[in-house]
This record gives sequence, structure tokens and C-alpha cells, in this order.
Amino acid sequence: MIAQNTLKAQVSQNMAFLGEANRYSPFLAAQNDSFHSASYDLSANTLVPDIYGSQRSQAPLTTATSVVGLQFKDGVVIAADVLGSYGSLARFRNCQRIMKVNDNIILGAGGDYADFQYLKNIIEQKILEEECLDDGFSLKPKSLHCWLTRVMYNRRSKFDPFWNNFIIAGLEYGQPFMGTVDKLGTAYIDPVIATGYGAYMATPLLRKALESKPDLNKEEAIDILTKAMQVLFYRDARSFPKYQIGIISKEGIEIRGPLTLESNWELAHMIG
Amino acid sequence: MALLGGYSAGSFPDYEVQGAKKVHFSPYADNGGSVMAIAGEDYAIIAADSRLSTGFSIFTREQQKLFPLSNTTVLGCSGCWCDTLTLTRILQARMQMYKHEHHKELTTPATAQMLSTMLYYKRFFPYYISNILAGLDENGKGCVYSYDPIGHCERSNFRAGGSAGALLQPLLDNQIGYQNQEGVDKTPLPQDRALAILKDVFISAAERDIYTGDGIFINIITKDGIKADKFDLRKD
Amino acid sequence: MSILAYNGGAIIAMKGKNCVAIAADRRFGVQAQTISCDFDKIFEMGPHLYLGLPGLATDTITVMERLRFRLNLYELKEDRKIHPKTFSSMISNLLYEKRFGPYFVEPIVAGLDPVTFEPFVCNMDLIGCPNEPEDFVVGGTCTEQLYGMCEVLYEPNLEPDDLFETVSQALVNACDRDAISGWGAIVYIIEKDKVTIRHLKTRMD
Repeated sequence: MIAQNTLKAQVSQNMAFLGEANRYSPFLAAQNDSFHSASYDLSANTLVPDIYGSQRSQAPLTTATSVVGLQFKDGVVIAADVLGSYGSLARFRNCQRIMKVNDNIILGAGGDYADFQYLKNIIEQKILEEECLDDGFSLKPKSLHCWLTRVMYNRRSKFDPFWNNFIIAGLEYGQPFMGTVDKLGTAYIDPVIATGYGAYMATPLLRKALESKPDLNKEEAIDILTKAMQVLFYRDARSFPKYQIGIISKEGIEIRGPLTLESNWELAHMIG
Repeated sequence: MALLGGYSAGSFPDYEVQGAKKVHFSPYADNGGSVMAIAGEDYAIIAADSRLSTGFSIFTREQQKLFPLSNTTVLGCSGCWCDTLTLTRILQARMQMYKHEHHKELTTPATAQMLSTMLYYKRFFPYYISNILAGLDENGKGCVYSYDPIGHCERSNFRAGGSAGALLQPLLDNQIGYQNQEGVDKTPLPQDRALAILKDVFISAAERDIYTGDGIFINIITKDGIKADKFDLRKD
Repeated sequence: MSILAYNGGAIIAMKGKNCVAIAADRRFGVQAQTISCDFDKIFEMGPHLYLGLPGLATDTITVMERLRFRLNLYELKEDRKIHPKTFSSMISNLLYEKRFGPYFVEPIVAGLDPVTFEPFVCNMDLIGCPNEPEDFVVGGTCTEQLYGMCEVLYEPNLEPDDLFETVSQALVNACDRDAISGWGAIVYIIEKDKVTIRHLKTRMD
């Protein structure tokens, strides 16, 4: 125990030399974070030891469910509900998780809400620093997608992942773009993306809609996505009737909501 | 054992104990996919399917898994997709560094050796990828290199890898290597025949392997450059 | 390692035009060590009925003998030859009786209908779930390789000679990519009025 503490002291000293530049760096794990060390005893079952001798979080706590997204003719729409679940408890009823990154990117997140908030802070800081340069350039969705891939991959390689699924949507030189990254750093782009339970229940609906009409307009895309959210609300036990929709097109970014889903449970007593 | 501290031996509570849940984390995922390459006298063909999946869900039906590294070298990857993204990005960077330092492109055999070294560098936390590298050697002859995840490398004239590797490889042995065939004249394989075999065996692999399907991307490498092609497979 | 892959071996059966073929390798081994190269995995259960039993060698023999016993009782009682489909049900029954302590074999049946001489192939898993496709069945430790070969080489309504060539090529090339199958092979071509048995020379490494 003494040896371990000495090691930690050394590590934190070394960290000090790294200075301010690394303050927001997601690449460095919290090696000297007292929360993760002995003073705060989280259940041993949710923590595993790593190569430094400290323990790192291995389980998501407050979680958010699926994010779904659909490309249309000249933009992208994404949607996610606003529930923050604590295990099976529907604990936080207004966890908004669709964010505007800048004038041409929106981001949707699922999974651990704290990890999302942490990354949201870093991304906002990144955008702020970029705006301070005032060089007329701004981050494009492909770049943010790529950056997030590296952040997620580096953390999974430390066995300390950010427990999230992201959908990055935006306009890349006027063309619609939608990509996703998961906690391992698995990334791809596609006109239809749904994470979590949405992958099983929403993707078939969205793919079918896009196949039957490849150049959807904005309203049609929103209608299809709303329908998908309703299906998810009916069948995903961790879902919620209040949700947000993020729309990005030539007219700009619009984040609607929290909106309320219509549902009809009259048939429910006939099931089961 | 500490967990059971409150209960005498053999007696468990008949309800779930709080805090006994553990979420397992694995840094790897199996994203499926198959790659195949054939080398001829003055060409090399490499193909990979375009399905990216885990378990029973398909992420995307049009994922390119072929990575052109130079005018004469193409790498095909299947396995853990996040590792593939990382490895190919580092490879592309190192190809560029070589070009700028030496004012020439890295040859295919040299790239093959570099890839082996890069894979072995991560011997104790490997990139979980089946790699197949195809290209032309110093004499302009087609060559194929295949790897295991930790950098074992072998040169051959044809190779299949990935989730349908076991289905594809014996066929190549038979149809291209003329294994177990009597009285055949082993003439060099013409390009159109190689392409026909390649499409045939991918169609067959898609019949039986759920991680292979949707389509294949094909790269034909000759001294004139890389020609890209696409071919549809079943999507179910 | 699975107990099904303890001894190694591969079997394939394929339908042709008025004929059916069944073929197996000849190896008997214990994991990586080869013990003998004349082990039978295919058994004659009637004039037009053959049974292949890839898997654990001890169970290959036991299951064959127990099936032969039941088959003899059936044929004494009914006083006629068994239909391959009926025989498959008999195997399925025998295996499912041991649902929770199974025999480690994955049987393959090949034969001709005793009345119409219609070709028949069937395979099942180790607890007797049957599968009767219209083309071919495979079993053993190199099923993936066999499926890959068969999917490309198979075509419907092959004549007996062509069927022999197809089955042999599929089996031998698949075995060459499996470390615990091979060391010789045997092919049975079952026709209405003759059964041809051929021994194949293969790589012995």
C-alpha cells in the first residue's frame, strides 16, 4: 500500500510538469484522481486493476439509450430521447444529448451521460479555441468524426473507455455527412445509423424508407425518424416519450424539443 | 468471498444482491469480413467484401476494406475494425514519411516487412486483424503476403483470409494451385480467369458465411496502376 | 478443444442423377497424433443405405452398433428394407434419447429409396436435429472447408463418374486444409444396381 502511494505521488508530480496544456486532454487518464483511489470505495465489482495499480471505472452509471440518424437530400436529421437511466431506474428526465458543435456539425450521444458531458466540455473548448483564431476556418464533421475515433480508440487501449456511442452529422462542403463512433473506436459512415436497441429496431425501418425513396426531403426524413422514435418508445424499456431532433441542412442547424411522442396503449392489455 | 460474508455457507438470499453486477469490457470486436488476393505474372488482384457487422447486426453494407498504400501496393483487412482503422492510418503515415525522406515509394516486399514489424511491435496487445497485402515486386511480378495478428508473414501466390477464409482457401488451392489434380499443364493464370474464380468463390462464401456479403470491392494492380471495381453479393 | 474434434475426420455426401455419393477420410488419431490410416467412418446399413459417423471415434462405433441393432429389429418386424428417411428418424430418436449426455457424433445418411431409387442425403447434429437438403451434406472437423468446396463445385444431376470426381475433389482439398483429417479417403458411389467403392491416395502429412 505504501509502495503504491509513493508511485502515485511520483505520477502526480510528473503530471505537474506536463503543465496546463494537458488539462483537457482526454488521452491522459486520471492517474492521480483521488476519486478512483482508496479514499472513495466504490464496489470492487465495478472496478478492475490496471497496469498502474490504480483502479478505473469499468461500468456506465447514468446511461442514455439509442440515438438514431437519417440522411436526406440536402442534410441530416438525428434524434434521441432525454432520459438518463440509473440502471433500470428512470432517474433523470431531462438529459439533453443532442448538441450543436458549430455551424456545420451536430452531435448525438448515447451511453454513459457523465462521459458525454466530459467530452462535450472538451469539444466546446476546442471550438472556442478555434473561434479565437478567427481565421475563417471551422471544424468540419469528417474531422470531428476522425478526432472522436482517435479519442475513443486511445481510451479503449488504456482499458478505460468512454462508454458512449456517438453520431456525428453535418455538412462537408455542402454534402450531407453522417458517421458514428462507439466505445472501442469502431467508426463508419452510412446514410442510416442507429445505436443501441435502435440498431435492431430502427435501422430496418429507416433502411426500408430510404430504399423506397432515396432522395427524401427534410419533412419526410423527420416523419420517418419520428416514427422510428415511437417504435423505440413502445419496445425499448429504457426509452422515454420526450425527445429531441437535430436537423442540419443548408438553412442551418435546428435542434427541436424536447418534443413529446404520441403513443396509444389501448392495445397493451391484449399483449402477453 | 467477501460478497458472501453476510450469509452462512450454502445459504444464498433468494433475491439479487445489490452491487454484484459487473459490466464486462473487451477491447476487441469481431466485425467480420473476408479478404482474398491472387498474384499473377504481371498483376495482382485483391478483393474484400463490403459488409461491416457485429453479431447479428450489420453496421454498413458498403465499407471499403482495401487500403491502397502506394501505386503498386494494396492492403486488405478484416477482423477488429477499430484496430484496422488505427493500423492503416499509421501505415499510410509511414508510407508518406518514407516517400518524403527517400524521394521514392516503398516497394511491396519492403511494405510487407514493415507491416510484419508493426504488428509484432504490439505482440502483447495485438491488432486483431487478418491482413493480406497484394502488389508487384521489384521485378514487376505479382505478389501476395498474408499475416497472422502478431506479424507472422508469408509470401504466396494466392491467399484468403477473414471470416470465410476457411471456406475460400481450399478452393484456391484446388483451382489456382492445381492441388490434387493430375495431368494439368500449370500455365500462368490469366487475369480474366483469376477475376472469374475470385467472384465465384466470394459468391459461394456469401452463401454460407453470415459475416461475408453485400458486395466486394476489387483492386487490380498492374504496372499501369490500380484499377478499382465493385461486384454485388447477396445482402441477406 | 471440443470433444467432437478429439479424433478428427471429415465426411461428405452428395446427390447426383439417380445416384448418391458418400465419402470420408481414413484417419484415426488422438488430437495431433495419427494412430492409423484405415479407420472406417462409413458403414453399410443396407444394399442402398450408407451411414457416416464423424466425431468421437468410440461413439462412432457405439452408435453404429446400436443403430444396427435397432435396424435389424425393424427389418425383422417389418420384413422389408428401411427407407433412408425412416432410418434418419431412427438415428434422430437414438441421439435425442441421450439429449443431456449426448453421443459425440454428427451422423450423415446417404442412400436410395428402396422402392423408387430416389437419391437421399441427410445430416444431423449430435442431439439429432435432422437436415435434408437437395444437394449435399458435410460433417466432421473441416465442415467450413467442405462447405466452401461444395458450394463452388456442386452442380445438380451429375452422372456417377462426374459425381465421384466432384465429391473426391471436395473432400481431399478440404482435408488438406485441416490438420486432423485426411491420410487417405474412401468414396462410395451408390447406384440402383451397383455400389462402387474407391480408395483415394492423398497427401499423408
